[in-house]
Amino acid sequence: MIDSTVLASINLHAVLRNLETLTQLDADAEDLLNGHRCAIRFSVPGIDRLTLTFDQGRCQAARGEAVPASMNLRFSNADHLNLMIEGKKNPLPTKGFRSIGFLKRQFAGAADLLSMYLRPDIKRLKSDPDFFRMATVLFANTAFYAAAEVANLDPVGQALLAKIEPGSINVTAGDDFQVCLTNDNGLSVRQGSSAAAKAFMSFDSLETLGGVLRGELDGFVCIGRGQMSFKGRIPMIDNLNKLLLRVEAYLS
Amino acid sequence: MDTYVYKKRDELFERAAAVIPSGIYGHLGPAEGCFIPTSAFPFFAERAEGAYLYDVDGNRFIDYMCAYGPNVLGYNHEEVGEAARRQWEKGDCMTLPAESMVELAELLVDTVDSADWAYFAKNGGDVTNLAMLTARAKTGRDLIVKFVGGYHGVAPWMQAYGSPGILKSDVSNIITLPWNRLDLFRDLLRKNPGRIAGLISTPYSHPAMYDSELPAEGFWSEVRSLCTEHGVVLIVDDVRAGFRLDLRGSDYYYGFKADLICFSKAIANGYPVAALCGQQAFRNAVGAVFNTGSFWLSAVPFAAAIKTIEVLKKIDGPALMHRLGEKLTNGLSDIAQTHGFTLLVSGEPALWNMRLTDDESGVLHQAWVAECVRRGAFFTNHHNLFINCAMTDADIEKTWEIADDAFRAVRKNHAMKAR
Repeated sequence: MIDSTVLASINLHAVLRNLETLTQLDADAEDLLNGHRCAIRFSVPGIDRLTLTFDQGRCQAARGEAVPASMNLRFSNADHLNLMIEGKKNPLPTKGFRSIGFLKRQFAGAADLLSMYLRPDIKRLKSDPDFFRMATVLFANTAFYAAAEVANLDPVGQALLAKIEPGSINVTAGDDFQVCLTNDNGLSVRQGSSAAAKAFMSFDSLETLGGVLRGELDGFVCIGRGQMSFKGRIPMIDNLNKLLLRVEAYLS
Repeated sequence: MDTYVYKKRDELFERAAAVIPSGIYGHLGPAEGCFIPTSAFPFFAERAEGAYLYDVDGNRFIDYMCAYGPNVLGYNHEEVGEAARRQWEKGDCMTLPAESMVELAELLVDTVDSADWAYFAKNGGDVTNLAMLTARAKTGRDLIVKFVGGYHGVAPWMQAYGSPGILKSDVSNIITLPWNRLDLFRDLLRKNPGRIAGLISTPYSHPAMYDSELPAEGFWSEVRSLCTEHGVVLIVDDVRAGFRLDLRGSDYYYGFKADLICFSKAIANGYPVAALCGQQAFRNAVGAVFNTGSFWLSAVPFAAAIKTIEVLKKIDGPALMHRLGEKLTNGLSDIAQTHGFTLLVSGEPALWNMRLTDDESGVLHQAWVAECVRRGAFFTNHHNLFINCAMTDADIEKTWEIADDAFRAVRKNHAMKAR
């Protein structure tokens, strides 16, 4: 069963937070946002706030309310946010009316770019290596950040998280993709790797990473071929894999 | 020491991957089997004989997984094979059961301490499931208690909530307690009067991924008393340990008597058969449960099981495997120490578990196991290992040589702080 609160949390902290990575990878996004300063807070009842700070063409995502916001977008409930992500409803600004122009033009443009990468044109994915690289990194980011939301909020995810011991898991695809998931009374994700990781999930390429996460490749076959490998504390990896299956149910 | 290469393996795996989900699924597959890294392991067997497994690339392994338990006398055991062949000539899967079914039941009743009857199936999971149904049929109660890490098969009630395909309702009547915690079991019984149908447990804790743990002093006698006092059916899942610790059952080995006891794996030296045995009081309940399968009463595995048990009795297989296991693991621990590593051995010697404790993540252990496999000792990383009766002192000495060279390779390849 899909819980709309969990989905909304995924939409905030896995999908929209990807704007941060988008502005690091995509020059068009950087150009679009350059020269504009704005910090947008997304407020959904029952869900940690997300604040996206745009400055000098870059975006920084922050969870909670520690970072000040110049604009507040309030949503009446989780469904309201989820419908906005589908383009079926608008947010309700309660602060920062002078930034509405930014919201409608620059932010909406960046969100469209993000959508282009997360729902990619298959032909372009196969023919444009740069597009493939960015789409895969952003998609993988979404999947692993979503895994944390599922682990922390979804009942099945919570049952799986209970079987992941405290500590970190490094997920890598060479130098192209590196995230670290840490269970410390809840699962969190950050870019990069931990020197003290207890478990390791490695993909030999972005092609394998993207193929497995999109369901185009059989992950178990990839393990047999050596394209995907695990080592360290295997129960951590095993339950992360099960979390990713649950993520698929939310994102499909 | 030379290390193995696998060329045909990869060709065959590609063929498998084209037509079989995962290529090789389940516990024999490189993923579930924790082949880390997969490049170190064979994937497909060409043949097997005695203590050895030969892969499709012609490499020979001393096989310490024993097909995950079934190989107890040695692969292709001549006497067992001959008994199976004789039955096969008469008939195997037929419209009516053969005399061999009755003969095996008689032998089990005469051999297994807690057996007044025997009921047959194919896999261990068939009979652990039947035991659960029998406990509920007998008591009219819902709840089943098991211990953390206890593997009893793959039916939905045996799996964990959160595993793909498993619903909360599948496991809503299953209560899981930590191993050796009598206080929690007592507490559970007190809080659920008249609700607990059965307790299912392996004779000692031998979970995959974690160290094995023997029953604490007095644990089983107290569990037995509490089950009797509260009308809880005591089910011993002896699928993995059965016939390796004691032919009379692992409950007998640990000094208590199960109500129901489940066997498979080693019972027929690799021929597919499982048995649920039990005390007289449960005969009617098990008979009332509707449970069957197309191949459950095939005659050849019964004939193989009869011969396997006869041979195990003749050679005192459990004592032999205990001695071999103890010798092997003591030597491995000593060799580890000479290289500055610590090998923790747990469980019973005939199906021991082992783990290098020198790093928290287990990466060093995985590296050492891989180096052993590359040199011809087939271990897996995170499952207990098995001794069989075909193993010899020479095999153990060869394994020590392999382990020694493997430790040297690990020392060379993995920077480690001096202890």
